[in-house]
Amino acid sequence: MTVTDDADRPAYDELPSESPLGAPLDWAWLRGAKSEWGIHPKPSPRGLTMLDIAVGTYGDIPEHPPRRSMAPRGADVDDDVVDMGYILNSKTDVWAENTRELYEEAVARQWSATRDIPWGELQELPDDVEHAVCQLCTLLTEVEMIAADLPAKWMWRMNHDFIEAKMFLCTQIMDEARHAEVFRKRALANGGGLLLSRGGPTSLLRTIIEAKTYTQASALLHLLGEGFVLDIFRMGELIAPTDVEKRIFRMCMQDEARHVAYGTMHLRYAVENDPDVAEEIHAALDHGEQVLIDFGTAPDVSTALALLLAGGAEHVEDKGFPLALELTKKQFTSYLARCERAGISRLERTTVPLDLLGIDPEQVRGAAPAAQGAQS
Amino acid sequence: MSPAIDTVAFFDALSDEMNASTERLRIVGDADMTAVVVMHRPGGDLRVRLVFEGLICAGVAEVGAEEAGHADFALVGDLADWQGMFDDIVANGRATGLWTINSLALLGDRISCQGDDPMGLDKFSRFNQTLQEFFDGAARIAVAA
Ligand SMILES: [Fe+2]
Ligand SMILES: [Fe+2]
Repeated sequence: MTVTDDADRPAYDELPSESPLGAPLDWAWLRGAKSEWGIHPKPSPRGLTMLDIAVGTYGDIPEHPPRRSMAPRGADVDDDVVDMGYILNSKTDVWAENTRELYEEAVARQWSATRDIPWGELQELPDDVEHAVCQLCTLLTEVEMIAADLPAKWMWRMNHDFIEAKMFLCTQIMDEARHAEVFRKRALANGGGLLLSRGGPTSLLRTIIEAKTYTQASALLHLLGEGFVLDIFRMGELIAPTDVEKRIFRMCMQDEARHVAYGTMHLRYAVENDPDVAEEIHAALDHGEQVLIDFGTAPDVSTALALLLAGGAEHVEDKGFPLALELTKKQFTSYLARCERAGISRLERTTVPLDLLGIDPEQVRGAAPAAQGAQS
Repeated sequence: MSPAIDTVAFFDALSDEMNASTERLRIVGDADMTAVVVMHRPGGDLRVRLVFEGLICAGVAEVGAEEAGHADFALVGDLADWQGMFDDIVANGRATGLWTINSLALLGDRISCQGDDPMGLDKFSRFNQTLQEFFDGAARIAVAA
């Protein structure tokens, strides 16, 4: 470690020990602290990133931080710093190996629901389609903010040495604010408005917010809930009646995939470093999957989606519901694949009716038909 | 005339076009991903690896089957379907309707997004609009040609 109390440096002995008002002065920070000095991180071509400054001891994330204060990791910290009452004090509680990358990505890929959606191109839609768009937007406006409230509930409990994880979660909160904004705006912008809000979705939101641990909450939110929303956004290509809604779904999709990427890698890190946590995650998902199925089959959600997938009320039965079933299959397939990637295989444990949905567990396990396709 | 789409030269031209317009890409933001375009065609598949770093396409190379498997994901389709996508882009200035790469990959019946790592596959979603901007460059190189 390079320290600042270098013998060649000036001693600054002439500096006063009292202020003009008689208060004691301390020049220790100038005369040399113990923290690492002179590491000169090099900016990468895109600028000075969080990865670039993760050098020397500044890049070391302690498994168990020695303090519970807001002192910046890497600083020369006094013994009398205040305990902030953090309860997430193990790296496995919050960390993911892709945290820094995801933070930079989030900052670089922010967009504006005011400016970057072509609101001026909205067209008058058939009555049934406009109602269905508004119903879906009502639901999305309602559920988006759980993904802001949940990190907010836990962030102030996270040890400050895990600041990169907290910074990433700040970007998620901003993303979710924008998602709530864009769906609320869409509900109102084309002559419709917000429609029905009922009890069903609320039980999912309550399950997420009331999770006993952050890792359980992350499994329920990032992996399960946001994974499902991500697939709805992907299906935006078929759901959206015009290019305006398509643009909305694509922009939200990019953000949502980041949140899922953090959750998947956080759970993986947690399980790899603390195998006992796997059962805790399974228990949360046992319950969460059931609540999510109830949510997905709630009458308002399934009807609005089916109508949009059908392009109108006329073909809701012959086109809408079959496509909605395809969506459900895609959602569970990608969810189960992410669970595999996270190291918490659900294939033997899930109560999701895989047979009924036509999901092949072998394919989920990563028999890699995809790679074969790429290589064929 | 721009090069035939089943050539590395064509993807080099798309890369040059993207790299000359980083200001436009700034709205979409930085991207870090490795994608492989696989075109099934008579006489053997073409596999082109595209490496995206920040606001630029930093690498275009024809690769073998094994190397292709190391990408984050592969976009796989028949040459005719790729031609259909690029024709739509040239005709409209950008991909429209079901010819966007997101729509194509979602339906998966003409061009599909493949990979054995869910994290890699999710990069297709995370950086989707960067990829679309890259492909939409075909309209500009066609005009310039
Ligand atoms: Fe969201
Ligand atoms: Fe989200």
